[in-house]
Order: sequence, then structure tokens, then C-alpha cells
Amino acid sequence: MRSKIIALSMLAVLGLGVVPLFVSDTFVLRILTEAIMWIGLAITFDVLAGYTGYLNFGHGAFFGIGAYTTAIMMVRANWPFAMALLAGAVVTALCALAAGFPTLRLRGAYFAIATWALSLAIQQLALIMTITGGPDGMRLPPFLNPLYFFYLMLGVVATTFFLLWFLLERAPFGLKLKAIREDEQGAKSLGLNPTRLKIQAFVLSAVPTGILGGVYAYWITFIDPASTLSDLVSDQALVMVVFGGMGTLIGPVIGAVLIFTFKTVFWAYLSDFQLLYLIILGAVIALSVVFLPNGLWGTILSRNGGGGQRNRDLAKRRERDKKEEAKKQTLADGLKACTQKEGGK
Amino acid sequence: MAEPLLELKSVSKTFGGLTANNQVSFKVQPGEIGGLIGPNGAGKTTLFNVISGYYAPSHGRILFNGQDISGKPPYQLAGLGIGRTFQVVKPFPGLSVLENVLIASFLRYPRRAEAEKHAWRILETTGLADRAEVSAAGLTLAGRKRLEIGKALALEPSLLLLDEVVAGLNPTEVDQTIELILKLRDQGVTILIVEHIMRVIMRICDRLVVLNYGEKIAEGTPQEISNNPSVIEAYLGEAAA
Repeated sequence: MRSKIIALSMLAVLGLGVVPLFVSDTFVLRILTEAIMWIGLAITFDVLAGYTGYLNFGHGAFFGIGAYTTAIMMVRANWPFAMALLAGAVVTALCALAAGFPTLRLRGAYFAIATWALSLAIQQLALIMTITGGPDGMRLPPFLNPLYFFYLMLGVVATTFFLLWFLLERAPFGLKLKAIREDEQGAKSLGLNPTRLKIQAFVLSAVPTGILGGVYAYWITFIDPASTLSDLVSDQALVMVVFGGMGTLIGPVIGAVLIFTFKTVFWAYLSDFQLLYLIILGAVIALSVVFLPNGLWGTILSRNGGGGQRNRDLAKRRERDKKEEAKKQTLADGLKACTQKEGGK
Repeated sequence: MAEPLLELKSVSKTFGGLTANNQVSFKVQPGEIGGLIGPNGAGKTTLFNVISGYYAPSHGRILFNGQDISGKPPYQLAGLGIGRTFQVVKPFPGLSVLENVLIASFLRYPRRAEAEKHAWRILETTGLADRAEVSAAGLTLAGRKRLEIGKALALEPSLLLLDEVVAGLNPTEVDQTIELILKLRDQGVTILIVEHIMRVIMRICDRLVVLNYGEKIAEGTPQEISNNPSVIEAYLGEAAA
């Protein structure tokens, strides 16, 4: 199952990679680029929300910090894009460290409220500072190459996805985070340092988000506090993750694709009824919380035995180990018997 | 006498004006099963929380292997070799039994493949191997208490603190758990156990410490303790003594 998912994901990335060979319509390319970006925002949101059990409403703030840092370095300091993007990643990491220490002491609703307040504070900060252009926002040097941004976004999100998959589903790190989610006090007695793990998860979630923000800023060429730092970024990521299935990494990808498609179709064909979009979105999230508490992918997983599959994999590996040990044992016994015979002679 | 594995030197723990533990001192020798008993509210669980690092002692010192561990956080103590269980069991309900033990196994076996092997060994010792794939929330109380011991064992502790691991079990399950505890002792694990069920305590403990109102009122073999007037008074009242 797990190796199948990785193979399928690689196939999906490759498939997306060849799309521009067949489609030259910039509108389609643009939609795809944004869809990929939302996948990235959803899976990074899942690191904290799904695996660690912390709903981070400041997720959008990291996106904005990355966007603004990249913009400021490019416009005010004339840095090339690549260096500015790197600066954006570093500043996001530092902000995550600074924000993580006080907020990650809180749990549940208190953490959500604290991060939400923090993101509002950052939005206000961007509104009153001159370096950020205040409410007028910032204009970046235009670089109008849809293909470039498509591949850049795809590269960043695919790298993030495979990195997160490795860390959360294969390496011990993911299970450790889940232990924190399930019972923080209990985890402590098993040698886990919750503060350290949570900070690591926070930074792991924030840095790719900041990079996505930087790419977004250069791509869209215009950022302002109302759009880039609005809490709508966090809200939409949350809806995608909850709808798709928290703590599965695959669920958020599915959620992002479905919700984004719905949004795009709605805005393209029913733009007169924009108000309806939010109403429907609200209804979808309410219904999915009630009827699909594990999200789409979570429900599919549990129908198919879900965690059972993962554990069956483990059991299979154990059988194999046992057989190997038995083989070694018979070999050792055989050797012993031989040497004893030799000795007897 | 050999160097004690665990030594409490007049340990006190106060919460504001409330003294939960008052100048408690005792030693646990390597390889023995020590028992901590006392009436409800005597401060046994608080003392466990102090020893395992969940609370820092207000006064006094705790020595483990001769090293001062007072006030060290639980995750460091786990690394030093102290494993504990919780009276109110703390399984990770959303994860499978195997994953529960696996998480604890990472402490000694950071590599996943080895941690998995270790976790299976622990599940076999604790008799949970056939339930490995079940989610921890789906276990019976007896199963959850066993899992609790399993998780602590996966840390390969030299000192195991057991907080009421037999309370609430039926007689068969009690016997199985006692068997497990004795097996661990034979493997060289030193054990300190809090328990209310005297039948169990009297059967397995080498030495007992009795707490009442946060203070140590007696210490000795189970025989000595059961004849100690102040212990009988603490449990049954003055008239009985």
C-alpha cells in the first residue's frame, strides 16, 4: 500500500510534468499552478493539524512572511529571486521558532486562538510599516513566464510532499508526533521531548509554506496584506485538510484538488453568485465533520481495513524476519553438529 | 549492603499550602521488588510523579544509581533507565498496539527495523502479540494495563515504577500480571510498585514502605508491616490497633 502510494505520487508528478507539452493555454496552466500551490499549503498544514494535533491558524501568516520577505529583498535590496526566496525561507524558519516557543505550550482551542491572533498581528504590522508598502502592498519586478512558475511550483510541492512522506510515514518522526497528538504526558514517560518535537514539526510545516509564499509573490507580481496575509489562507487549508482526511498526507492532497476545482469552476461559471461559494463551502465542511469525521481519505482507509493494512505490512515483515532467523538457527545448528562430529573423530 | 538503585533523601512535595509528601526517605536495592502502600490520598501517586520527573521535589534529593536526578524531566529519566506506568492508563488510542510499543522502542533502537523487532519481542513477553494490529482503544482494561507495562518495558528500564497495574482486574488477570512482574524481576529489572490489593503486595514484594498523610510511617518486610500497629491504625483506625 505504502510503496503503491509513492509510485502513484511519482506518476502523478510525472503526469503533471508533461501537461505543458500538450496544453499551451496559459489559463489552464495558471489554474494548475495554483492548484499545486494549494496542495502544498494543505500538506504542510497537515503536519501540525493531523500528525501533531495542533490547529495552526497562523499558517497563512507564514505564507505571507515568505511572500513579503522575498518581495522586500527583491524590491528594496535588488536581490536576485533565488537569494530572496532563500531569505524568505530563513526568515520564516526564524519566525516559526519565535512563535512556536510561547504558543506550543497551549493546547486545543487556546493554541488555535493564539496563532490566529498572531497572524492578525502580522497582518496589521504589514499594514502600518513602510517597508511593506502598507495597505498599498508591493509590486515585484514582473517575470511573465507561466511555464517557469508551473515547474517551480511543481518542484517545490513535489519535494515537500516526498520529504514529508519520508519523515512522517517512514521515519520514526511521524509516529513520535502522533504520540504527542494522542497523549502528551504519556509520551514524555517514553523518552519523547514534546517541546522539541513540536518545535521541529512547527518549523517543518512553516518553511515550505514560506517558500510557497515567495514563489507566489514573484508569480503574481503583486502582494498586499488584504490578500496575502488574510486568514482565508489558513481557513482554506484547514477546510481542505479536514475534508480530505487529517493526518494522512494523501487526504489533504485530495481535499486540495477537490475544493480548489470546486472553487475554480464556481468562480468561472457562477461568478454572479460569489456569496453562495462561501455558504456552500461552509455547508460542505459542516457536513463532512458530521458524516465523514475522518475525511474522505480517512474513511476510505478505514473501509479497507485502514491502519490494518499498515499493520499487516508490519506483520508480513515480522514473518519474514522470523523465517530468516529460523534459517540462521538451522544453519548454526547444522554447523554445530558438523563441528561436533569432527571433534568426535 | 550493595549500592541502592534508587534512594530518596527526605523528599517533600508541596502544592501551595498542601503537603503531599513530607520528608520521605527510603532505598530500593537492585533486583528487589519494593512496594509502596498507604490509604487513599497518602501521596503514593504524587511520590511516583516526583520520582519519574513529572513533578520536581520541593525539598530533598533523589538518587538513581548514585546520580542526582531530582527535577530532571521524564524523557531524560527514561533515557537513564526509569520506566513507569500510569494509574490512569495512557495508551495512544488512535494507534495500534504495535505502534504504541514501537514509539517506546525508538528510545533504545532509533532505527525503525530494529525498533520493530524489539516491539514484537515486548509484545510476546507481555502476551499482546496476537492483538498487535488492534487499535489501543479497542483493548480491554486488562489489555490496556498490559500495554502500559509493555510500553514501559520497551524502554529497557533498570527501574520499573508500576502504579496500580492490577487494580480493577479479575483474579485470573491478576495472576497473569503477577507472573509477568515476577518474570521481569528474574530478568533483573528492579521494581517499585504502588498497589492497594494486599494479596498481591504481600505475595510479591520483598520490602514495603508505608505512607500516610504524605509521611513514611513504616518500612520493612511484608511480615513486619502486617504486624505493625501504626500501619493497622492508619488503615483501620485507632480502635483496631
